[in-house]
Amino acid sequence: MTGRSVAISIGLVVLAVVAQTAMFGDGRINPFGVSPAVVIVVVLACARYLDPEPSILLGFTGGMLLDLLGGSPLGLWALSYTVAVYAALRFRERADDGALVLAVGIVAFTLLVNALFLVVGTLFGERFFTSTGFIKDMVVPAFYNLVIAVVVFPLVTRLLGARRRLGWSA
Amino acid sequence: MREGAQTLFSPLQDATSAVTRPVVGFIDALSDLASLREENEALRLENEQLKTQIDQIDSIEAELEQLMEINDLEVPNDLPTVVARITSAGSSSFDHVRYIDKGSDDGITIGAAVVDEQGLVGRVDLVLDDRARVRLILDPNVEVAVLDQSTSQAGILRGDNENDLVLRVFEADEPARAGSAIVTAGSRFPPGIRVGTITQTATDNAEFQLVTRVTPAVTFSRLDFVKVIVGYSPLDAPSIEEELAELERTEDGEETTPDGEGDNLPAADGSDEGESP
Repeated sequence: MTGRSVAISIGLVVLAVVAQTAMFGDGRINPFGVSPAVVIVVVLACARYLDPEPSILLGFTGGMLLDLLGGSPLGLWALSYTVAVYAALRFRERADDGALVLAVGIVAFTLLVNALFLVVGTLFGERFFTSTGFIKDMVVPAFYNLVIAVVVFPLVTRLLGARRRLGWSA
Repeated sequence: MREGAQTLFSPLQDATSAVTRPVVGFIDALSDLASLREENEALRLENEQLKTQIDQIDSIEAELEQLMEINDLEVPNDLPTVVARITSAGSSSFDHVRYIDKGSDDGITIGAAVVDEQGLVGRVDLVLDDRARVRLILDPNVEVAVLDQSTSQAGILRGDNENDLVLRVFEADEPARAGSAIVTAGSRFPPGIRVGTITQTATDNAEFQLVTRVTPAVTFSRLDFVKVIVGYSPLDAPSIEEELAELERTEDGEETTPDGEGDNLPAADGSDEGESP
């Protein structure tokens, strides 16, 4: 891993955050009223090629940017992303087992990040569980992310993979 | 910290929004195609209903005029407003906020009501120099004191993380009927702003309150330009709790009048005599 890889990853995450808030946020491109979660896809894709520490820092940065540019309590996304990336790092050697495993991983970690956000947010007084709508908001982005991953993962592999091809293993 | 991030990212967001606006619109239209057939059927049905209702429109208009007079509702046309454009949205489906391109430099303050031509959008909850954040009424953390225009009953409207809202009418003596218009009651928002329409008739008084759902007047997915009402100070207005306490006090006053039976509730805003429905 080089400093350049980290810089490229941060650039990609910043672009993803801008795209998320300007294009995919609530009220923009959100089929059936649900937005995809582009940032977690980019973070997971980059985490395949970075060392564990920069990967976790990248997750924290992505989450914190979402917190700063969104309306949620500060640190909620940052915490959720950090934990989700930590969990992803524990399983990343399995990413090379095939596309199916990768797809399951993307769905699982998107679900995890959304679930953490909802649970921790509720502990901090947010009213996320007022209706059954939260299930849709939590689950559907995971499947949108599969479509987005088809574009993002090859792109990230092209940008970072040539420097170091490790799958999700360190 | 939020201000710094906003300042840093807002040019990028603005540029992305400007470039992708047509694409976003196109994709939005595509995603709507699936629901067009269903919507067509619904519109056909609605058309039939409207034809029936047209016969009653004169009496409804008269009733509405009367209710407006009774409740002293004023549509806040005379309040100064600032027109702003939506620049970015919340970062997820859980985030019911929009950022606008006007801020404290244009006189926007925290708590200011935001409307569009259809009705109430939300209120400002974060203000920077040239930018502000609007929390939509869809957010469960936003509560709006409202009046049911057809019965003058007061209630509280709250977001539900869905595309519609939950209305609670306290100590109702009449049902909340489907189709009734809901307007702001004048607590933290200027009175008389259209908020939505009741979608389900509620007759059962559960826990001393009627609970029903309201479809917002505003189509939030198509928000582009909004108006921020800057001539109304919500910070001076009583809170919802104070407003309800005042309502209860008025009620008690009515109940203790020498010849009062105490059965009829006062008008919804507590400012008028009890209305005989």
